[in-house]
Amino acid sequence: MTESAPPPQQNPPLRRGRTSPTGPVAFVWDAVLMGWRWLARMRTALYLLLALAVLSIVATGVPQEPNVPSTVAAWRAGESGPGVVVSQVLDAVGAFDVYGSAIFLAVLLALYISLTACLIPRIKAWVRLVRRSQPPIVRHLGAQDERTSFVTDHSPEQVRASAVRVLAQRRWRVRRHDGDGADRRPAQVAAEKGLWAREGGSLVFHLSFYVLLAAIVVGQLLTFEGQRGVVEGDPGFRDTAVSYWSYSPGRWFGESDHDGWRMELEEFHVDWVRDPLAPGAGQPTVFRSDVQITPVDGEPFAAVVDSNQPLNLDGTRITQLDWGYAPRVVVEVDGEVLHDTFLTPVLADGGFYRGAVKAPAAEPDLGLDVFLYPYAPDGEDGRPVPTGAPWADAPLLVFEQYRGDLRLGATQQTINELDVAALDSDGFGALRLGQSIEVEGVTISFPELRRWVGFQVSSRPQVPYLLLGSGLLVLGLLGSLYAYRRRLWVVTMEDPAAARTLVTVAGRAFQRPEAFEQEFEDLVTELMAATSATPSPTDPDEGTPNAPRTAETSRWSDHGPRPARAAVPTAVLPDNADAVPDGGVRLPVRPDDDRGTHRRT
Amino acid sequence: MGRTDVRDRGRLARRVATVLAVLGIVAHVAHEIVRGLAQGRLPLGNMFEVTSLMALVGVVVGLGYLHFVRRRPELDGFVLLGGALVLGMAMLMYAEPGPLMPILDTWWRPFHVSLLVSGMGIFAAAFIFNALFLLRDTAELSVARSRSRSAGGSTVGAAYIGDVSDGAAADTRDAAVTPAAADGPESDPDDERDRAELAAYHRALRAGISPVKLAVGTFLGTSLVSWVWLTTAETLTAGLGRFLTVNLTMVAAALLARWFVPFLPSTATMDGIAHRTTAFAFVLWTVGTIAGAMWAEVSWGRFWGWDPKETGAFLTWIAYAGYLHARATRGVKGRGAAWIGVAAFIVLMGTYLIANYVVVGLHSYADL
Repeated sequence: MTESAPPPQQNPPLRRGRTSPTGPVAFVWDAVLMGWRWLARMRTALYLLLALAVLSIVATGVPQEPNVPSTVAAWRAGESGPGVVVSQVLDAVGAFDVYGSAIFLAVLLALYISLTACLIPRIKAWVRLVRRSQPPIVRHLGAQDERTSFVTDHSPEQVRASAVRVLAQRRWRVRRHDGDGADRRPAQVAAEKGLWAREGGSLVFHLSFYVLLAAIVVGQLLTFEGQRGVVEGDPGFRDTAVSYWSYSPGRWFGESDHDGWRMELEEFHVDWVRDPLAPGAGQPTVFRSDVQITPVDGEPFAAVVDSNQPLNLDGTRITQLDWGYAPRVVVEVDGEVLHDTFLTPVLADGGFYRGAVKAPAAEPDLGLDVFLYPYAPDGEDGRPVPTGAPWADAPLLVFEQYRGDLRLGATQQTINELDVAALDSDGFGALRLGQSIEVEGVTISFPELRRWVGFQVSSRPQVPYLLLGSGLLVLGLLGSLYAYRRRLWVVTMEDPAAARTLVTVAGRAFQRPEAFEQEFEDLVTELMAATSATPSPTDPDEGTPNAPRTAETSRWSDHGPRPARAAVPTAVLPDNADAVPDGGVRLPVRPDDDRGTHRRT
Repeated sequence: MGRTDVRDRGRLARRVATVLAVLGIVAHVAHEIVRGLAQGRLPLGNMFEVTSLMALVGVVVGLGYLHFVRRRPELDGFVLLGGALVLGMAMLMYAEPGPLMPILDTWWRPFHVSLLVSGMGIFAAAFIFNALFLLRDTAELSVARSRSRSAGGSTVGAAYIGDVSDGAAADTRDAAVTPAAADGPESDPDDERDRAELAAYHRALRAGISPVKLAVGTFLGTSLVSWVWLTTAETLTAGLGRFLTVNLTMVAAALLARWFVPFLPSTATMDGIAHRTTAFAFVLWTVGTIAGAMWAEVSWGRFWGWDPKETGAFLTWIAYAGYLHARATRGVKGRGAAWIGVAAFIVLMGTYLIANYVVVGLHSYADL
């Protein structure tokens, strides 16, 4: 009901048909042409969008290696998920990394080729439209949606000048036709609007995807992202390629692109709603890091990284990603300190933090699987009762000791994981803060508890361009949905006997006719004011602007055929009635109106 | 029983309904305000609050649009029905008021969430009109088919069908539902016969929709979304209870809508309303998703990471983009487009529930 008709195009000039060549080259060329035409179809584009949707559903259901590598590893090993065989199939089709898979890239490429194939003819047509189109001059106003007329003492020339002024002020494209009716086209002002903006908006909307794609692709090359955990009061880290725990630079991001500042975490603030009866009990209320930044050649300064306020250092963004408790664990064997650092365990399901101590200096290797319960107060029997509460009022460190081969460097393991394949369990222990314990000849102490924060450092030069693309997308969308195409004519007829001018205004709405009615009335009112006119006396029944139109006639009109708003006032017609053979007294028939196609189904 | 009595009773019913609807909206607004004051923040922090506001936005925008732009007050009931259903769904996820996670405590949240919630509410209104369009269209098609069958191909019958499916019947129907139009002269000798014909036509329209098919279809269609409750509730019984509550409520709503089918305006009108509302909600959804990406860049250090919620927003966007493209292309109109609109709403609700209940992602905190 409200779609735009495709922009009118002239029929292409007839070309002499060429004799089609034969042979393998022609066969390939024909195949390419066929493929291009297939891609240019809207239906194909919709299928490709559907394929994209299906792929992203797959990526939601199947764990993705770039996001959760440990889960994917567990699926592959058959420890969780549907089993080894299914995982092998998933691996073969690239389902563990959908957004990096060949299928995804192929669909995306096809979608962009399809978009291009769709857009090239549309852009051509639009440029032709903008360069050539003019508001059409009518011979008679027999078939327009809106029509009204009035009488004025101004001369026809004055009326047309006023109409041009009023319409141009309202941003209509205006074309003035000062004829005497001899060419069967009465003197008039023809105006049009929305023709460029609607299709143009749609084109901008679609072209913005190229901006987004370019920004994403080039951004992938220029971007850099690294993660690093920092313990409170620790020396921190320097912004160099080697100091990040995980480091993913774009192809064009070199080591020299790092700024080289040093960052220390002075304090991490975190708190919760501790009252179990208060609303939102257990919810955190603050996550904030007080940090100190030391530029390469400058004085250190204090800064804050908050949940929604990342720290911005010359385009490099520092964000808090994660945090946890950092227990200091000291391991001694025969008075020799084998391990004395802060662990950075991560929160696991169940409200405890899990980490690992790895001491390859021991003989054989020593490993501790560490569980930290931040709030495990002593129960009535004097034994600690672990709770899920996150505040560290009664921290309890539980560990299992392993001896054997840590297989460091032999297998992939994170700093918080032990590879227990070549390790043997060698006792358990539980420690309060400040305590130490001896397990199988190894002294383990827990002297200090701090917190650590996982920071993400990222540099994304593409973000402004992504914003530009998004802005174009929204602008184009607004244009393509809310620019309505309208045409308007102001026809002036001189009445020599009465020395006055009869003005007929007619309009046509290609979209949203019900919204046009008000606009049309406003326009006519303004035009009448500009020409100090009175409503036409010859036309009492016609919806003159001053006569209130009842809601029934104007608002219910799209129910069926309009009530026959019958005749054009005869006075509007040129004196020589032959000029308009049908006298303009036709019922509204709109052969090319797209609104009509659905109305009567 | 005189005709005047009927009209008086109709006026009274309308007045009572208006008062009730206004009271309902006022109560809902008061609830949002009180909840906001109690929490000291905008009530957009968890699924209950978001869904509740989605219902309010859908109802207010829907009614405003119907009254002031479209002048179709007779469709109010369906918007209110849809609002009541969405609100009922919100009650299934009720959460006590409470403070906000620090990461949500920023002006980005009202910006991003309110855009998307408004979009959802208006998508819901669009879904209602798509569904009503399909109901009415099915009824009309069925009536036309049965008439052409009984007419046996005679030209007289054909002309009659043309009348019915075209303007004449539409005008009669409009007169029946337009209070203003009923104020005309009453001493029409054909009045009695006209009304009998009209009643027969109404019955035929209703009969055109098989209640069994409608109920089963609605049950199955709702199941595409409501299975989430079946799988995620604590016990199977509780899950089954919720699943059946949602499905049977939707079936009841569909059967109620079937009864109202004769009083619906023309299919073209509902098709147009569905398209306009979808287009508006699509703009809101687009801007809201972009705002979400901008917030993610600030808060999580990346603008897009295929988090379940992000994937859901993307899928919904694609589905409604498909609807708008289908509408813009000449081949698919009317029923085809309406079905795509219904499917898009299933995608919207499905991704909304799945991303919140089934898959764990970055958006999972605070039940949002």
